[in-house]
Amino acid sequence: MKPNLTVVHEAPARPAIEVAGLNHTYAGREGDVPALSDISLTVSAGRFVVLVGPSGCGKTSLLMMMAGLRHQTSGKLDVQGQPMAAPDPDRVGVVFQEASLFPWLSALDNIAFPLALRGTPKAEQHARSTEMLNLVGLTGFGARYPHELSGGMKQRVSIARGLVQDPPVLLMDEPFAALDEQTRMTMGHELLRIWSQTSKTVVFVTHSLTEAVYLADEVLVMSARPGRIIDRITVNLPRPRTYEMMGTETFAKLRDRIWQQIRKGE
Amino acid sequence: MTRFQIIAIRLLLLALVLAAWETLPRNNIVNPMLLPPLTDVLKTLIQIVQRAQVQEAILVTAAEVIVAFIIAVPLGALIGVLIAEYEYAGQIFKPLLFYVFSVPKSIFLPMFILIMGIGFQQKVAYAAFSTLFVVIMSATAAVESVKADHVLVARSYGATRMQILTRVYVPSMMPILLETLRISMIFNFTGVMIAEMYASRTGIGHLIANWGENFQLPQLFAGVILLAAVAITFNEAVRFLENRVSAWRT
Repeated sequence: MKPNLTVVHEAPARPAIEVAGLNHTYAGREGDVPALSDISLTVSAGRFVVLVGPSGCGKTSLLMMMAGLRHQTSGKLDVQGQPMAAPDPDRVGVVFQEASLFPWLSALDNIAFPLALRGTPKAEQHARSTEMLNLVGLTGFGARYPHELSGGMKQRVSIARGLVQDPPVLLMDEPFAALDEQTRMTMGHELLRIWSQTSKTVVFVTHSLTEAVYLADEVLVMSARPGRIIDRITVNLPRPRTYEMMGTETFAKLRDRIWQQIRKGE
Repeated sequence: MTRFQIIAIRLLLLALVLAAWETLPRNNIVNPMLLPPLTDVLKTLIQIVQRAQVQEAILVTAAEVIVAFIIAVPLGALIGVLIAEYEYAGQIFKPLLFYVFSVPKSIFLPMFILIMGIGFQQKVAYAAFSTLFVVIMSATAAVESVKADHVLVARSYGATRMQILTRVYVPSMMPILLETLRISMIFNFTGVMIAEMYASRTGIGHLIANWGENFQLPQLFAGVILLAAVAITFNEAVRFLENRVSAWRT
């Protein structure tokens, strides 16, 4: 099932992420279980790419491999031109589901955490994380602890933490899944604003088709396990995106096409 | 109810109990032979702590408690962490430890006496033994309270094993660890007291048991007040720390 609408990009000097012939199996109760099958994809620098697919299709696994947190059984996976043998905060920042902030650290200290790990001088840590706090719209909330923040605010802190080391690539694993619909929309919009101000390459995993179309330059649709890429859909909506676009026919058609592909792939 | 009102009512209740302790025996409503009035007990307390024999007993008991604590807590914590971190060790030892944990430790006391006599060593060994299991259980719980998500976040930002330990494990576990410290001291203190009261030549527990047998109730109550004061002070000091490091848990 090859994608019938392959878009050829003008290839830049070096893609931010390059995956070729990637396979992954894991040891199950009854022998090896194939999880990802022959994944090939290219993400150009500065693009916003969204991965969608049914539950358990391996999209989170794929993202964790891009983060260097898991290793593929075979195939190539390069980020910024180099394989991900181990997590590398200089290349990749990760934003997890459910924020995963450290509850014993203030918002500002959570943001500074990656800098603290590498022993950045305190003054620089403070300056840099305050800058990120402002970028994500939380000016004045630095001293708050996670339990004093709303779900949306926690994810803002989490995004700030992902950006604090200024990595070229930001990986996001269903970051807004636990938020209510309204907050989720706002956060999507905010994310696009932050993205446009930082020009990162983003790979974003989600279950929400609306979110996928609203955010993405390109949507990659994965099949049920073993996960394969079954379609690659370019979203031609102009930027900056607005809420009104969700009501347009183009939006509905794109969303519908993703939905059809997911159903076929199940 | 405001916090102030709650504290006021607590103090009032305490005052009522103390007043009853003083007035009921004074007016022969309660037999003063069985419950000597509070002021008599306090006078006795001041007298007995000046006696060389009592001072020596306090030192012996304190030494036993401290040594047993220093043995039981790190050892139990180490075993607990190993069990929590290594799956197979956990599967093998956890049920066994739970079985022993459920057995009252005092039934083993005669064996400790048979093996070690009734000296300092035996008190320390028995108290450490009766404390060890609760430390193991709590340390296991402390490790299990560390969230896999938090470890993953730290790893994704390039944390080394040592950094994961100091920046994720330790702060995650700190509230439970302090709680463990507090509870293990209760077990430890109890262990020393039981061992001293059962068979001993010195120690506060020994004195209290003697005073009881000889019907010296003012001394007995004075001993109880002394021990209670020490135990409560330690407990509250650790609880204060606990509240400070676990504000984020709410």
